[in-house]
Amino acid sequence: MLLALTGVTLFTGWASLASQQAGQMTFGDVSIPAIYMAILFAVHLAFVLTGRRMDQVLLPVTGLLGSLSLLLMARLPQGSAGLSLGGLELGLAPLQLLWLSVALAVLAILAIAVRNDNWLREYKYTWAAAGIGLLLLVFILPPASSDPTGPRLSLQIGPIAGQPSELLKVILVVFLAGYLAENRTLLARTSTKIGPLSLPPVPYLLPMLAMWGVALGIVIVQRDLGAALLFFTVFLTLLYVATRRFAYVILGMAMFLAGATVLYQLFPHVRVRVDIWLDPWADPLGSGFQVIHALYAFGRGGVLGTGLGAGLPAVGDTPGDLPAVHTDFVYAALGEELGMLGALAIVALYAVIAERGLRIAARAADDFRALLATGLTLVIVIQAALIIGGNLKLVPLTGITLPFVSYGGSSLLANAIIIGLLLALSDRGVEPPQPPSAGRRFRLPARSPA
Amino acid sequence: MSGNGAGGAGGPPSIGSALLRVGLALALLFGGIGAGLGYWQVVQAQALSSEPGNPLVQSAARNAPRGRIFDASGETVAFNDRGADGQRLRRYPYPAMAPVLGYQSLRFGTAGLERAFDAELTGLKPLGPGGDMMRKFLSDPYDPSDLHLSVDVRLQAAAAAALGGDRGSVVAIEPATGRVLALVSNPTFDANRLVDPASGGEYLESLRGDRSTPLLNRATQGRFVPGSVFKIVTATAALGSGAIDPATTYPTDEEYDTGFRIEGFTINDSARSFQRDHPLDFYEATEVSSNIWFAHAALDTGADELLASAQRFGFGSALDFDLPTTASQVTSGDGPLSGFTDRVELANAAYGQGEILVTPLQMAMVAACVANDGVLMRPHLVDRLESQSGRVRDVGPSELRTVMSAADAAAITQAMVQAVEGEYGQFYAGGAKVAGVTTAGKSGSAQLAAGRPHSWFIGFAPAEQPRIAIAVIVERAGSGSEVAVPLGGDLMSLYLEIAD
Repeated sequence: MLLALTGVTLFTGWASLASQQAGQMTFGDVSIPAIYMAILFAVHLAFVLTGRRMDQVLLPVTGLLGSLSLLLMARLPQGSAGLSLGGLELGLAPLQLLWLSVALAVLAILAIAVRNDNWLREYKYTWAAAGIGLLLLVFILPPASSDPTGPRLSLQIGPIAGQPSELLKVILVVFLAGYLAENRTLLARTSTKIGPLSLPPVPYLLPMLAMWGVALGIVIVQRDLGAALLFFTVFLTLLYVATRRFAYVILGMAMFLAGATVLYQLFPHVRVRVDIWLDPWADPLGSGFQVIHALYAFGRGGVLGTGLGAGLPAVGDTPGDLPAVHTDFVYAALGEELGMLGALAIVALYAVIAERGLRIAARAADDFRALLATGLTLVIVIQAALIIGGNLKLVPLTGITLPFVSYGGSSLLANAIIIGLLLALSDRGVEPPQPPSAGRRFRLPARSPA
Repeated sequence: MSGNGAGGAGGPPSIGSALLRVGLALALLFGGIGAGLGYWQVVQAQALSSEPGNPLVQSAARNAPRGRIFDASGETVAFNDRGADGQRLRRYPYPAMAPVLGYQSLRFGTAGLERAFDAELTGLKPLGPGGDMMRKFLSDPYDPSDLHLSVDVRLQAAAAAALGGDRGSVVAIEPATGRVLALVSNPTFDANRLVDPASGGEYLESLRGDRSTPLLNRATQGRFVPGSVFKIVTATAALGSGAIDPATTYPTDEEYDTGFRIEGFTINDSARSFQRDHPLDFYEATEVSSNIWFAHAALDTGADELLASAQRFGFGSALDFDLPTTASQVTSGDGPLSGFTDRVELANAAYGQGEILVTPLQMAMVAACVANDGVLMRPHLVDRLESQSGRVRDVGPSELRTVMSAADAAAITQAMVQAVEGEYGQFYAGGAKVAGVTTAGKSGSAQLAAGRPHSWFIGFAPAEQPRIAIAVIVERAGSGSEVAVPLGGDLMSLYLEIAD
């Protein structure tokens, strides 16, 4: 039922956009929204047919965010990005539709096929190793971008560039959920006193230090402040959920601040990011340009917005005024065209994801699943908050994407995996995990019919 | 609700309650984002949409016919024209208006009123409440406004002509309303040459390199030593604090000959060949501009009272005005005596020396405030905005604050009348006399470290029902009575003629 609402939103938006561009009332070419809605309903149908009893809200919310993305991509100047495959030129919207379709397929397959979580919880160290290997690949393979000062995020394989840190965030949550579920009693109960703080035994602190190192490493070698912030925030929150010890959070934040201060002193790209956050008007035509123009976009939008298609890139003869509008500044563009009400609605969509995700975690059958659901939810919600906050100059601007809305394949795929897993975890019919036995390993029985 | 983490003795704590806290933290996070949205999209929306760097503003400047600007008598002082290449150009028929209007050019941006009212002139900022909401529903979102100024271009042009080749400034204000009648800064620039796309860049460079600083608006942003015109501020503080009354007399007999010695520094009155038979009261001291008398008065009043009075006039912070202004100062130091280094600096400040620096606009406001029975009005250049769709916004008189009592204002007015019309005063500010009208004024000769003094005059007329208050400074032109005083008198009488 909620999917129908998504359809209404998408088609209304599409017609509004087409009318704005054509200067008259029209529906325009509806093939793109039609294909998208068909895929969404197909996914839903597959869920029903396979008899899964999963969360009924997550798919429509994800679908709605995806349809906003389609609207925005169709509305942006098509020359600004795109892919040409053997003479076939694809604009932003068809390309994004392609990625959305792949993402929804991945989501559906995961949600339907994942019936037990052995393969996740048993091999957590393998997953962690795979993640670090993925990170290292970026340095072995030639960078996709030739800009030596910019972030080194991409892997280029043939015509397709991917960002491994997108996949890494999923892997990391799987590892953390496994590690914390196993050791949380120890982490929560035992302590060594260091001054006023009581800490767990030193060996168990090592993973925390390792995470800290990974986060700082990402900032230093990948120049990706956003991913580092995201990883560390998710890590600290999960640690808190597992142990309920606020001291860890304080300690972690102190460590991060200390690290950040050192990085600020040592690395110019970090310094620039922070400085333009504090005062973008110091260099309005240079480094502060993006931030200022994002704020201009919000200002022009006001409460009601300019309307789809009537916003910034269409202003006068200054097309593409906001650089990276389809990736870093989608929220500013939507804030302009949909106004504060639309922008708040988008925030509300992420709030719904948060609520559903935490509910799934609370109902989970055991610690691993609870922590996994929490972590997956946090990845999406915190990522959204970081980039929205960056657009609004509430936190330093980072290059991470707005989940399901920003243009880009790897981001869509990674977030689809997250929602797919969340859906699978939400199914009451999924196999119950075996209660912890004498051994420290959880062992699940072989698959039995659901 | 949750089957996990049933923490028995020694078991791990429950995950459910931690999740609740995480949920609350996320709710706070979303709330923060909502607040951020509200701040930028509601509170700051208008300011952001009027910033010169905003493409919306640039687009409006290209697409909408910019509003015109008229002077108080309805004369067009800025309008739109087509250049040789067919591009829209701004035209300014009166060169003397440059310090008021500034310029608007697609290449070099905006300055002056063209900058301050850019959003209204382009129509981006609609007049009246709720206009911004409605704008988005209209097919033609721009509603440019014309500006109607309080400045009279005849007075403005006459003042600029009177300054001629001299550097200086004239500011005239209607005391009861704060309407600025003239705001002249000399030398200035040729706005028509500046907005010419072909030669404007070269001209702008030459203006920037010019050592006579034609791009500086002396009236609002030039800071000058005021000399004796500052005695009006000292008098306001001294009378207002109760430290003196108009009958208070200084100095003692021996100071006639030796000067007033204070901590090793000697203050002398120049040209004291007359009035040696008795100590001076406030009126006589103003009439002959006695430095010794005002130094005594300031020392008896104290640094705090002097600073407080000056602040009520507007000293110490940028003035609330249609153009950007620089703050005037009483002292630059952070000395032990409320900022003053010592009593010598305070005594010097009494007659406008020391570390005092003022803008001509600030001194015109001092004169206008005395003329308006001690009530300071907000000065403004724009009387009325009128949009093409017929919306009107009137800028009425707005009271800033009461600086002094009406009785004190009357006493100071009487002293200033005596300074123009008195037996001895005519040697000082007598040149400002407007024929047939009681005239109030005060001359000033601001001593500089080297060279000739700045020539100053502030005054108003008619003294009973003031219609114009004026401040004149001619830089390094000599004593006040030589240059600024007659210039101020001529301009006041011209205005009273044309205004009738």
